Amino acid sequence: MVKADRWIGFLFALFSLYVCVESVRLGLGTYQQPGAGFVPFCAGVTLGILSLALIFLAFVLDAKKAEAWHNPDRILMVFLAILGFTLLLEWLGFILSALLLIWFLLKVVERRGWSFSVGVALLVAGASYVVFDVWLRAQLPAGILGS
Amino acid sequence: MDALEGLLYGFSLALTLKNLGFVFAGVLLGTLVGVLPGIGPAAAISLLLPSTFHADPISSMIMLCGLYYGTMYGGSTTSILANIPGEAASIVTCFDGYQMARQGRAGPALGIAAFGSFIAGTIAVVGLMLLAPTLASVALKFGSPEYFSLMVMSMTLVTYLSHGSILKALMTAALGLILSTIGLDPVTSTLRFTYDSLVLRDGIGIVPVVMGLFGVSEVLLNVGATMNREILQSKIKNLFPSRKDWKDSSMPIARGSLLGFILGVIPGLGTIIPTFLSYGLEKRLSKHPKKFGTGTIEGVAAPESCNNAAATANFVPMLSLGIPANPIMAILLGALTIYGLQPGPLLITEHSDLFWGVIASMYVANVMLLILNLPLIPLWVQILRVPYTILYPLILLFCLIGSYSLNNNVGDVIIMCIFGVVGFLMRKFQYEPAPLVLALVLGPMMEDNLRQALLISGGSFATFITRPLSAAFLLVAVASLLLPLLKIRLAARYREQE
Repeated sequence: MVKADRWIGFLFALFSLYVCVESVRLGLGTYQQPGAGFVPFCAGVTLGILSLALIFLAFVLDAKKAEAWHNPDRILMVFLAILGFTLLLEWLGFILSALLLIWFLLKVVERRGWSFSVGVALLVAGASYVVFDVWLRAQLPAGILGS
Repeated sequence: MDALEGLLYGFSLALTLKNLGFVFAGVLLGTLVGVLPGIGPAAAISLLLPSTFHADPISSMIMLCGLYYGTMYGGSTTSILANIPGEAASIVTCFDGYQMARQGRAGPALGIAAFGSFIAGTIAVVGLMLLAPTLASVALKFGSPEYFSLMVMSMTLVTYLSHGSILKALMTAALGLILSTIGLDPVTSTLRFTYDSLVLRDGIGIVPVVMGLFGVSEVLLNVGATMNREILQSKIKNLFPSRKDWKDSSMPIARGSLLGFILGVIPGLGTIIPTFLSYGLEKRLSKHPKKFGTGTIEGVAAPESCNNAAATANFVPMLSLGIPANPIMAILLGALTIYGLQPGPLLITEHSDLFWGVIASMYVANVMLLILNLPLIPLWVQILRVPYTILYPLILLFCLIGSYSLNNNVGDVIIMCIFGVVGFLMRKFQYEPAPLVLALVLGPMMEDNLRQALLISGGSFATFITRPLSAAFLLVAVASLLLPLLKIRLAARYREQE
């Protein structure tokens, strides 16, 4: 049990409340003919009860501090990189998005040299295009290069 | 079709040049995935899945099963040479494998891991071949209450056997169940929790979730940590274990294989827990238990055999009942559906070509892995030397391509990214992702069977306890929930007495 479980439990409890309200709106039906909201309602109630138990235990038991976060800036940058790739994929196309992603991870996150990061990015983007799009026919978006 | 006839038919399919190529590609990729830390079999199978849409179902399943198999073999290489488990089922192999390598006995450790895996894999395939059709014929007599109770049992077993808090495991299972209801309600056709999003209409796909929870989150965790990869530089020699090594390892291999198979059949146990139990069992039975952890060959032979036997046994509930034993089986189950096959007890009789083809390919894969693995160890060592700073951008790119090419939809990639962060936070705060995935997979089946059972019984919940099999499953489920409480009480009483 970690101290953060107190607010995690609270967030889960709020979420379960929302699920229960939505499930009632969907319709619980009857025992003979359960409606669309029946199962999510049951799961929501279960999650709610468990969340309350978690909050209670996190206060009662000797909760420790969660393990420290190392390199949060790196983690954030990696996440932003994949998010950026996702948002740009259809517009820029696979090759350019992959090129940018690999270059960003190597140059900005890993602080590798310009020539190395650009070289690897070009190689990886090209090779993955050949393997996935041409060979495995994955139909990756062409984006602005296609038009 | 009897077993021998079926097996011969299976070999006639598996030994075609095309399918041999698929087995080879699968085991080679699998071993590579097993060797590389940071990408597990779940992410690798998800990644490869879209590329199999163009092949026929038998060849595709043969390749994906080969990949799963290969990871079990490859995982031991990193455990022994770098003290880093290539995949979770090889964690235990690190304890003695790495110590053996430090003492200059990397060769026999790698050798016994490969031979043990081969023996266990072969024994388990025989078990699978005999057990799955029998279980499927029994399951034909199952009604909705039995199916529902069996799935409840699987989920509670997963939570009971999870590493951390059972309460947290139950919470993630409940969350998975809620997530499984997203999309179109199959009975009333009502849209649930979709918020006018087209991506959510068909529900949350298992593949993007698994890739996010296991692939992306693993990368995020590793990027945050400083990875020290110290690979032994000494030349690897004597890959063939000596007569003494064989004498010491033969019983652990036999026990590991048996234990792995028995535990692997139970839905929810996967491959990780059996390996720990196998190691514990060997330590208990050993005449020199204190030597465990210092480089004893039994400590490598037993868990390595166990994880391969369990990996094969995981196919039993998947192929005979349509119930996945772990997230990897859940993806394979999803693959069967994508190929237009209906998983469940009828799969073996209606698609005997697929069942026997896969079984025969497992024999072929075992032999191929044994032949391939030992000579290729120097190559795997070279790959291990590739720095993680270069590997993880590739892993991320593969995950992104894999999730996009499922439906050619950015929505799936966004789901993967979200679950990547969710998985990362879950691991940071000690919440296990496996119960969530299992609940997400079993959820729709559970809901379907629950509603059907209630409809047939006229709304009476007694139907779940008046039918003997269903009652037995529920009893195990309740026991697995109460056992931890009992343990806590007993421990408290013991402390009071002290």
